[in-house]
Amino acid sequence: MLEILAQAVINGLLIGGIYALVSIGVTLIFGVVKIVNFAQGEFVMIGMYISFFLATQFGIDPVVSLIVSMPALFIIGVLVQHFLIRRVLGLNDMPQIFLTFALSLLILNVSLMLFTANYRTVHTWYSDEAFHIGPLYVPVAKLIAFVLAMVFSGILWLFLHATDLGKAMRAAAQNRDVAQLMGINPDRVFAVAFGVALALAGAAGSLLMPFYPAYPMVGQVFVLMAFVAVVLGSLGNVIGALVASLMMGVAESLGIQFIGADSGLIVVFMLLLTTLALRPSGLGGRRTR
Amino acid sequence: MKKNQSGTPNKSLRRRDVLKFAGGTAVAAAFGAIPLRGWAADPVNIGGLYPVTGSFAQIGQACVNAAKLAVEMVNAGGGIKALGGAKLNLILSDVQSEPTVTRTETDRLISGNKLSAIHGCYASALTLIASEVAERAKMSLITGSSSDMLNKNRAYTFTPFARASQFAKAQLQMAKLVSDKPKVAVIFENTAFGTSTSNGLKELAPGEGVEIVLFEPYSAGFADAGPLINKVKSSGADMLFSVSYLNDLILIVRTVKQVGLKVAINGGSGGFVVPDFYKNVGKLADGLLGVAHWNHDVDANAQKVNAEYKKRYGEFLFEYGGGLVAQTFMLVDAIERAQSADPQKVHAALQKLDVSSGYAAMAPGGKVKFGPDGKNVYGHPVGVQWQNGDLASVFPKGDAKAPLVKI
Repeated sequence: MLEILAQAVINGLLIGGIYALVSIGVTLIFGVVKIVNFAQGEFVMIGMYISFFLATQFGIDPVVSLIVSMPALFIIGVLVQHFLIRRVLGLNDMPQIFLTFALSLLILNVSLMLFTANYRTVHTWYSDEAFHIGPLYVPVAKLIAFVLAMVFSGILWLFLHATDLGKAMRAAAQNRDVAQLMGINPDRVFAVAFGVALALAGAAGSLLMPFYPAYPMVGQVFVLMAFVAVVLGSLGNVIGALVASLMMGVAESLGIQFIGADSGLIVVFMLLLTTLALRPSGLGGRRTR
Repeated sequence: MKKNQSGTPNKSLRRRDVLKFAGGTAVAAAFGAIPLRGWAADPVNIGGLYPVTGSFAQIGQACVNAAKLAVEMVNAGGGIKALGGAKLNLILSDVQSEPTVTRTETDRLISGNKLSAIHGCYASALTLIASEVAERAKMSLITGSSSDMLNKNRAYTFTPFARASQFAKAQLQMAKLVSDKPKVAVIFENTAFGTSTSNGLKELAPGEGVEIVLFEPYSAGFADAGPLINKVKSSGADMLFSVSYLNDLILIVRTVKQVGLKVAINGGSGGFVVPDFYKNVGKLADGLLGVAHWNHDVDANAQKVNAEYKKRYGEFLFEYGGGLVAQTFMLVDAIERAQSADPQKVHAALQKLDVSSGYAAMAPGGKVKFGPDGKNVYGHPVGVQWQNGDLASVFPKGDAKAPLVKI
């Protein structure tokens, strides 16, 4: 019994790491640019296809191809922010919502056209291997993904707290007008934030590739969880999103193990609603009166 | 203004003349006044409805390839001999993986062409619609789709291969290959497809002496198969039936390997028994079991067709495509006996079809004869196993072409 519980927790934490990479991107964009990026899942998908093609055409390991997918998505992010998002900022919410939603549908359908709906997998030597510790097992590919997800989250936290650009980003997030008065160029800060968020999505894609098949709709699998984690962890809070993602991974895994394999989402949304009822601004938020 | 008015009638008169001439020629040609070609060489048209765009595009295109190969084989063999060596001509239509498009395309194909019969559409959901339209148009439809619904209230639909209900039974019987008292875990995606298939398995299990130790629905499209396989592990099953879409199945197979779980897996049919599955899962697929309504090793003819298909497309001839070649030859057999391309006469000949040799009899069991419900009275599935990237028939004994590899 105890080993089943332990295994369920391990499974949950590992997949929670991937949820974290996606949700941190969403929460960063929301926190800084004040926009909900509905296309985040599609950028994960782009990351997966980049790694897939590098692996199949040039034999590059998906984890190594991070050095291509992350910069590529950073640039895409800067361009999207500069040419699309920037135009609708300051308007009301509707154009912003529809912009990223339309972007999501566009990328999805272009991918269907280019790549077809077929599943693409990459086999690496570690894809189907696992470390066995007594009765427990830890899949190698997921462990690599988890460790790197934590490393990237740590780097982002350091970046936000220890660099001028990071501090400027937090300042712009807290109060855009005041930040501007302090000489911060919001356009530049927003572009970097968007780029960093998409680079994280690209990292998630590359890290998924050794153990998850790529297909145009794959982003939807992860983005729903990411949005829940963003709300659960308090909108805009990077550490909150990270902790919430791990919690959700574990809650989902425990739900499947002990309630039923189709209860994963039920458990997750129960957790969300309970949290919102008790702490409306999420786990990472200040208690509201 | 005036100029225009006087100009218009002239112009339309001229146009009308042209139309009259063209129409006259067409009518004359239709009645044979202008002999364009000899009567005997008039081709016999059959229709093919496949999804070559949309979600079934890849498999649909493979069906089209197989259907074209079959027509080539017929024509290379001298065409329809009873009609003076008339060539068989395949008229294709793309049903775009969409039920609504299937309805209009079937209608258009039948009403717009002089057809003797049609075949289609790979996916049962699409075939059900095409068969409704064909029924109303009194046009014979022959199909490899397995839904039992295709045999209800239809006089023009012919199904030469095993039905969905037979697949479940075969799958349970195959569990006995693994153990005398098999303990089976059934995991299934929780929508219509998974629920109906797994309920069929559950109902038949006691009768086949199979114990079901885990019966677990899951939400399709999960991020991680770990927790689910954890459950299978704790159930103590020695056989796993996974009623899943390809995406989930890939994750399930990989996770079973990671866990190091010793369990035989039967993945059923459909997307599990096509070359693409092996491409995605690789060596891990070796040893996995499945069920199919056709396999390329069923007889010598099937092996011959498979060799030709492999030469052209670089992969083995898959279940549905192979069945489609046999279906084309069944239609030819009917047209030969009808001695006519008339759809009603072809329909009557199909009802009396009874073949046990040649390409038309390439089916598990090697015999095809339709009952009043359009079902092949000899139809049954074969149990298959992935062995070195190929599918080998391993069940039932009469159809087995290779010994079962125990894992």
